[in-house]
Amino acid sequence: MDWSWDFVAQIMPALTQGLLVTVEITLVSSVVALVLGLLFALAKMSPVGSVRRVAIIATEGIRRTPLLVQLYFLFYVLPDLGILLSPFTAGVIGLGLHYATYTSEVYRAGINNVPVGQWEAARACNLTTRQTWTEIILPQAIPPMIPPLGNYVIAMFKETPILSAITVMDLMGEALAQANFNYRYLEPITLVAAGFLLVSLISAAIIKLLENHLNLRAA
Amino acid sequence: MGLHIAPDRSAEAPIIEFREVGKSYGVFKVLDQLSFSVKPGEHLALIGPSGSGKTTILRILMTLETVTSGNVFINGVSLNREQKNGRDIPASEAHLRKMRADIGMVFQHFNLFPHKTALQNVALAPVLTGRMSKAEAKDRAIQLLDKVGLANKADEYPSRLSGGQKQRVAIARALALQPKIMLLDEITSALDPELVEEVLNVITDLRNETDMTMLLVTHEMGFAKDFADRVLFFEQGKIVEDGPPSELFHSPHHERTKSFLRKVIAAGQRV
Repeated sequence: MDWSWDFVAQIMPALTQGLLVTVEITLVSSVVALVLGLLFALAKMSPVGSVRRVAIIATEGIRRTPLLVQLYFLFYVLPDLGILLSPFTAGVIGLGLHYATYTSEVYRAGINNVPVGQWEAARACNLTTRQTWTEIILPQAIPPMIPPLGNYVIAMFKETPILSAITVMDLMGEALAQANFNYRYLEPITLVAAGFLLVSLISAAIIKLLENHLNLRAA
Repeated sequence: MGLHIAPDRSAEAPIIEFREVGKSYGVFKVLDQLSFSVKPGEHLALIGPSGSGKTTILRILMTLETVTSGNVFINGVSLNREQKNGRDIPASEAHLRKMRADIGMVFQHFNLFPHKTALQNVALAPVLTGRMSKAEAKDRAIQLLDKVGLANKADEYPSRLSGGQKQRVAIARALALQPKIMLLDEITSALDPELVEEVLNVITDLRNETDMTMLLVTHEMGFAKDFADRVLFFEQGKIVEDGPPSELFHSPHHERTKSFLRKVIAAGQRV
């Protein structure tokens, strides 16, 4: 089979549209994963035993089942219970929730890595709990979290093709639609790979820059 | 013709009072029914073998630990309990913050904030606790750094300071809130030997120039003797001997104290 630039030109608008959806869904899911992950982490470190237990059971349960099964549940099972989600919303919730269980571990490790002496010094300085978090603990805990959190965002981005299983028209969804319609897979799937590679490389570079910036500030 | 009355410390109300304080971790008793009091302006050295409860006393005063039983009073106010609507309840965070305002602490491992410069480390607390404006706190921090001989290091981060310099910044930080009680927890134990003196000199100046009540936990018997006007010897969470340094170091009453000092001297320390 020969590579056809005409066919590339023909499917490019649809694929570009799909790539935008992929990036959009990654960004929104990342916000969900980062915010929810922090909440999970705080719950897992809660002084209240019951809060801690519920958080651990929930995060372990989500982390130890496949994302695809969770997506099917959100998109195909919930309607039976009267909850109808659009493909996009189901995708964001599924991806965000799944990765929140991973980011929560990054947060927890980052916070636990701040030596206990820092908490004690903050107390000796008579800071409030809130000031201790915002002035002392988080500024030390966050910079080392940036690379692993960034890697999870890139991992989420690379995992978005799975959303075509619940009819999200992302890059993969559009490519499959074009391929199935025209009976040509070479160009669409190659372009999907190229699109992912391009965006991943750019994201990795941005994370590296951010990391350097934070390291410089902390040094 | 006036009647001159020498200041009689024994008549003064204690600034710190431990009343039958117990502290346990599980079955391990760190403090055992401990009672003692400290008068304003006293300089106390707490000595004794590791694990005898000396550091725990400082940590309880800084509210880093809670007591298992008994009561601790600062200026007659309970540190660990408070009265609310006529009921006696465990101290709330608000009560603890009020009590902490009079207490400063210097730690064995400095615990400087690594993401703040020396100046920021010192100026942080007065600003965040609302005691001073940023400009006032900065002026005060520069004064304090100057006092500990580090005015030229104001803009350095802790990672660029030696151990002795870090500890002097930590002392300046503890002074920034103008505490009435200063807790010094083995402040030279983590230092290289050649850096110990610069830290002890700062403490000696503080001792001579301020009227702070100071509690020093130390393994440096020579310094304890020079610093303290009263020494408490601890063993297994109890005070074995309590007296002026001349007595405790040179003619201890208790066999336990004697044997502890013998071991210390055998390890090469001057007493």
